[in-house]
Amino acid sequence: MRRYIAFRLVLVLPTLLGVLVAAFLLLYVAPGDPVQAMVGERADAETIARLRADLNLDDPLPNRFAAYVGGVVQGDLGNSYITRRPILEELLERFPATLKLAGAAMLFAVSTGVLVGIYGAWRPDGWVDRSITILAYLGVSFPVYWVGLILILIFAVQLGWFPPSGYGGLEYLILPAITLGMRSVAFLARMTRAAMQEALNSDFMRTVRAKGLREFVVLRHGLRNAILPVLTVIGLDFGSYLTGSILTETIFSWPGVGRYVLIAIDKRDLPAVQGSILFLSVVFVIVNLITDLAYAKADPRISYS
Amino acid sequence: MVRFIFILLIAILACGDREHSSTLNYYFTYDPRSLDPALSTDVPTGEVIALLFDNVTRFDVDGELQPGLASSWEVDSSGARYTFHLRSDARFHDGKAVSASDVQSSWLRTLRAGGRIWPLLPIQGAREYAAEESDEVEGIEVPDDTTIVVTLREPLNVFPKFLAMPSTAIVPTPVPAGFDQNPIGSGPWKFVSWSHDDAIMLARNEKYWGEVPESDSLRIRIIPEPLTQAAEYEAGNLSVVEIPFGETRRWEEQHADELQRRPALRVLYIAINTTRGPLKDVRVRQALNYAIDTKTILETVYGGRGVLSAGAIPPGLPGYDSTRAPYPYNPEKAKELLREAGYADGLKLELWRTQREELARVAQAVQQQLGKVGIEVEIIERDASSARAASAKGEADLFLTDWYADYPDPENFHYPTFHSRNRGTGGNRAFYRDPVTDSLIVLARTTTDEDYKAELSRQIDARIFEAAPWIFLWFPIDVWARRPEIQGWRIPAIFNGQRWIDAKHSP
Repeated sequence: MRRYIAFRLVLVLPTLLGVLVAAFLLLYVAPGDPVQAMVGERADAETIARLRADLNLDDPLPNRFAAYVGGVVQGDLGNSYITRRPILEELLERFPATLKLAGAAMLFAVSTGVLVGIYGAWRPDGWVDRSITILAYLGVSFPVYWVGLILILIFAVQLGWFPPSGYGGLEYLILPAITLGMRSVAFLARMTRAAMQEALNSDFMRTVRAKGLREFVVLRHGLRNAILPVLTVIGLDFGSYLTGSILTETIFSWPGVGRYVLIAIDKRDLPAVQGSILFLSVVFVIVNLITDLAYAKADPRISYS
Repeated sequence: MVRFIFILLIAILACGDREHSSTLNYYFTYDPRSLDPALSTDVPTGEVIALLFDNVTRFDVDGELQPGLASSWEVDSSGARYTFHLRSDARFHDGKAVSASDVQSSWLRTLRAGGRIWPLLPIQGAREYAAEESDEVEGIEVPDDTTIVVTLREPLNVFPKFLAMPSTAIVPTPVPAGFDQNPIGSGPWKFVSWSHDDAIMLARNEKYWGEVPESDSLRIRIIPEPLTQAAEYEAGNLSVVEIPFGETRRWEEQHADELQRRPALRVLYIAINTTRGPLKDVRVRQALNYAIDTKTILETVYGGRGVLSAGAIPPGLPGYDSTRAPYPYNPEKAKELLREAGYADGLKLELWRTQREELARVAQAVQQQLGKVGIEVEIIERDASSARAASAKGEADLFLTDWYADYPDPENFHYPTFHSRNRGTGGNRAFYRDPVTDSLIVLARTTTDEDYKAELSRQIDARIFEAAPWIFLWFPIDVWARRPEIQGWRIPAIFNGQRWIDAKHSP
């Protein structure tokens, strides 16, 4: 197993190199001048020339890329053009916030979505099941932006139960977690329901029921077999929360990595964008790896060698 | 289970970590790039710098130039040699005295920092120092601890206003490591903490040489979304808020007593690239102005939040002429001018704009109205960096944008925007070049006679109005709300004119 993990981690490197090349080239091609963003309006020729020289902006592309990769290998993602601070430091300042939000959103999505899906499979076509189906479709259709603002309007401004936005403890986390996790609830509910139904209707479940076990135990057995597709969705969604919850972070003034990347792109802060893409790719790969390992744990039929 | 949820809810409601009641609450739309004045290029950074640091001069809430670290100054008869007399009682937050040599080293540091150095470039020797061709700036002399004498390359009457710019704020010498995250200034507020993208905490400087702030702390949150800013204000978590565009009517109805209005030192316009084909002809440019019903667009698309412009100088500055009427809406006259210029068959133009929401509908309205006189307009929307780069390179026929004042002076609305040496990245997006206007602008910025300057500014504005290098739209009006429990705060005329000195919670 450990060899498998090591093997997977080594496979990451060519992927990351590819990501790095793509990001580098894309930003090189994009119009807009980072020096303009750094200097603002009324730029004078001397400052522009000096900044371009300091940042090696006029060096040939392969040289710049090689220099960058050289730095990355030593753990140096370079400094932001805008703030002049080390990018790794800036990302590490913001990643805990993104992690907190992603975790809370996932907790909400899993507890609500999976439970609802299980119930729907257990008592199919009942009024609960039907209303869940409708809510699930609505959940996917509502735009994140709109849901977030509505939640703020109702629960923060009108009722005053929660602060409208900001970073802090539980009370600040609830509305953004619901906003972000909402789409996953829908998918998870549908996925769980479908997988559970299949499991509950299979032959071995009749054996379990025939053994006379309590219904709760029956459901647990069913769930263990239905869990694989659900795990896939959880893994992918969690990965996407960690790498791109920009809208939620913006609406709720949540200081995460998503906002950081967005602003960096807007200001053409090339090292920050490249560093962020690299960082987030590593995160995504690790989440995928954990998901795969979770498969092996959940289903003894799967083994890696 | 139900009991657990109930208790949880109570716990959530009970632990309302509201800041203690005398804290002032302000906000920015994005995180400042740094708290080091030398790197100040954006508005949030500039605003915090004004709170933490002092400059040699400063602007008050109404945009008037006031003494800062310099209690007085004079200029010699040539208009190029300024002597500033500094206070002797100014101290940095760590207790060290602020002296003239600190002023000199702060400015030298700024010149090599690669940020906004234009306020210091008029000084003799500054350009060479910035380009690292020399090791000192001969135009700055420090005869003693409280006097600093500045010699400029040529006379410049707005120079004292340049010294109120955030990038020329005075920092200690030497600057400690990590200064940009842990600044030490001499201003009315002291730095407490900075949680990036989240909030900045400032505390009152009890030992400030000037007026000490009424409140003991100021919290500046970073809130990117305008509707969230409004929600925070309505929930009582912000002391002031700028009214989001789309909400103007609702706020005028629901929060009428809390609103303040001030015409901003800002102009919204469409730069016409005067180097391109048909746009070289003044008749075509005037036709563009006649073809657009600015009044209606202002009322319908912009909520009426503006003053129609008949020039570049906004109301409130010397040289603003309220008697000059804007181009009236006259599509017939527009068509006639186009015919005279030889474009009876119409034109095709590209209108570039950035992605700011409120500009989208303005652009569409303009497109539609120009279409009625035979000018086919294609709207090109790009993010800010790309759009500005294209415009600076001269690739845009028309560019819908605005110009914000850096400092309250008519010169700031003429020199960067219309002087031929500033074509392109310098701010002259119309690439306008007229020798007569150039010399008038230079005269206006060098004369030491204030009244003469105001008259010149008025004339320059009139010339520009006739030459129409812009489609003149309007001067936006700032509309802000202030919580009823807060007093002593007014909308500043210029972004760094509000230092939150008088603001406090009413007893």
